[in-house]
Amino acid sequence: MAHIPDGFLSAPVVAGTAAAAAAVLALAAQRSRQRLEEREAPVLGAATAFVFAAQMLNFPLGAGTSAHLLGGVLVTAVVGPWSGMLVLFAVVLVQALLFQDGGIAAVGANTLNLAVCGGGGGFVLYKLSLGLVGEGRRRRVGAAAVAAFGSTLLVGCAVAAELALSGTVPLMPALVIVGGAHGIVAVGEAALTAAILGALLRARPDLAAAVAVPPRATRRWGYGVLALAVGLAVVATGVASSRPDVLTAALDRLGAVGGEPAGTAGSLPNSRSPIGGPWVAAAVGVLITFALVWGAVRLARPRRSRS
Amino acid sequence: MSFHHLDQFATVPSPVTAMPPVARLVGATSVAVGAATLPLGAWPAAAALGALVAAMTLLARVPVPLLLRRMSGPLAFVLLASAGLLVFVPGDPVLDLGWVAVTRPGVERFGFVLARAVVALSAAVLLVTTTEFPDLLDALRRLRLPRVVTTALSLAYRLLYLLMEELERLLRAARSRNAGAGAASRRRLAAGVAAAVLQRAFARAERTHRAMLARGYQGELATLTEWRWRAWMVAALATLLGLVLVTAVLARG
Repeated sequence: MAHIPDGFLSAPVVAGTAAAAAAVLALAAQRSRQRLEEREAPVLGAATAFVFAAQMLNFPLGAGTSAHLLGGVLVTAVVGPWSGMLVLFAVVLVQALLFQDGGIAAVGANTLNLAVCGGGGGFVLYKLSLGLVGEGRRRRVGAAAVAAFGSTLLVGCAVAAELALSGTVPLMPALVIVGGAHGIVAVGEAALTAAILGALLRARPDLAAAVAVPPRATRRWGYGVLALAVGLAVVATGVASSRPDVLTAALDRLGAVGGEPAGTAGSLPNSRSPIGGPWVAAAVGVLITFALVWGAVRLARPRRSRS
Repeated sequence: MSFHHLDQFATVPSPVTAMPPVARLVGATSVAVGAATLPLGAWPAAAALGALVAAMTLLARVPVPLLLRRMSGPLAFVLLASAGLLVFVPGDPVLDLGWVAVTRPGVERFGFVLARAVVALSAAVLLVTTTEFPDLLDALRRLRLPRVVTTALSLAYRLLYLLMEELERLLRAARSRNAGAGAASRRRLAAGVAAAVLQRAFARAERTHRAMLARGYQGELATLTEWRWRAWMVAALATLLGLVLVTAVLARG
């Protein structure tokens, strides 16, 4: 459930996510206005309409399941991160207003998930993996696939966190089910993003190669940051597993601030279960899969190095 | 397929369609937000907001079966998504299903999430049923959404059904060329078709944009209708907002 319907989020979460999304969008509007060229207006409209139409296209994943494109990485890779987030926001808005896919009150949360986490976060992953693999059509497509995979997981974690903070579902099942479902969807998203971007790179290189590859010097930084992130995650796992109550307390405090009134369904029902585990496990899982897929891309590289 | 099946009641004369689109958008959004953010267990408040939407529906002269039919699609999704609440909320088991148990808090939460969703959804459906999209865009522009977003939306509105029809045509053609193909080649086909649609979308958008510029487009999609606020409209919107606010406060107090 990438588009959260109305009714699943509590008032504080609705307000908080709306404020966060509005802040990022305001920044995005300002940034994109600074660099908006005349030619870009039709491209943004087409991107919006395309993501929307593509979301109607269900993609068979096998075993009776299907998923549709979220489009975060695809859009930001073609029109840039700031305009891309605005396009994704427009898609969320059309989905909510015209077709009731995702609630009106949940527009803020859905924008935060799909545009900011999926689009902006996906773009960061794209840029990072581009920095790692370097120039070339195949590598660009590989980087986009990795980023699409990671961004979909990011969306899933964000949805799960919002549901848990709302007190709708305990965090553990939310992460397992919503996050797990997005893990499956992520495979389709990566494949679709790679296929579409690959075709676009062949047909319209001017559009698809808009994002510059970071120079070689920054690539070393990329490796450093990746190593640091994995190291931090490993340390965090150790700390979290020895003292699981830190995160629990933090979540409890958030729940207490937001608070459902007492006597209805109680406070957050998950306050007893250790919360540190799944969060950190998810983060480590993301990093490991990222490293694995990136390694695969890297291995596939020598075959067509000077393309 | 076109947008006309969405807003066919926008031209029915009624107090609701006489209101400026901004008022309709703000009103529907406030009801939806008010309903969606009710604290768990506030059944009377949910019922009150539901009654408010029902009254609006009658005022707008939208047939109730139509409203229900439009809600059924999204509602099926909500039902699917919230079914998990029945078993994942810890509490006293009321129904043991072997390895999982339906819990009492689970049932309560499931019911209330569903109620919130129904009320919010009906407000949203009523809004699109009574408002044409260009008017809705105009309202969004008046509410100071970033210009890039409204421009993208207005162009997307022109392209949306064209693209969806193109997608269907291409898929149909691809399917008939590859009848009986397996899942793997269906996947490849879908991706190829999607990529082709994206290229066509960009090409078409550039053509459309050039044509629009040639006809004097200056970044605003004009609507012919001039909306005027009258005293009763302001009063009606204020009453609606007041009712939603009072309900929200009472539900928490």
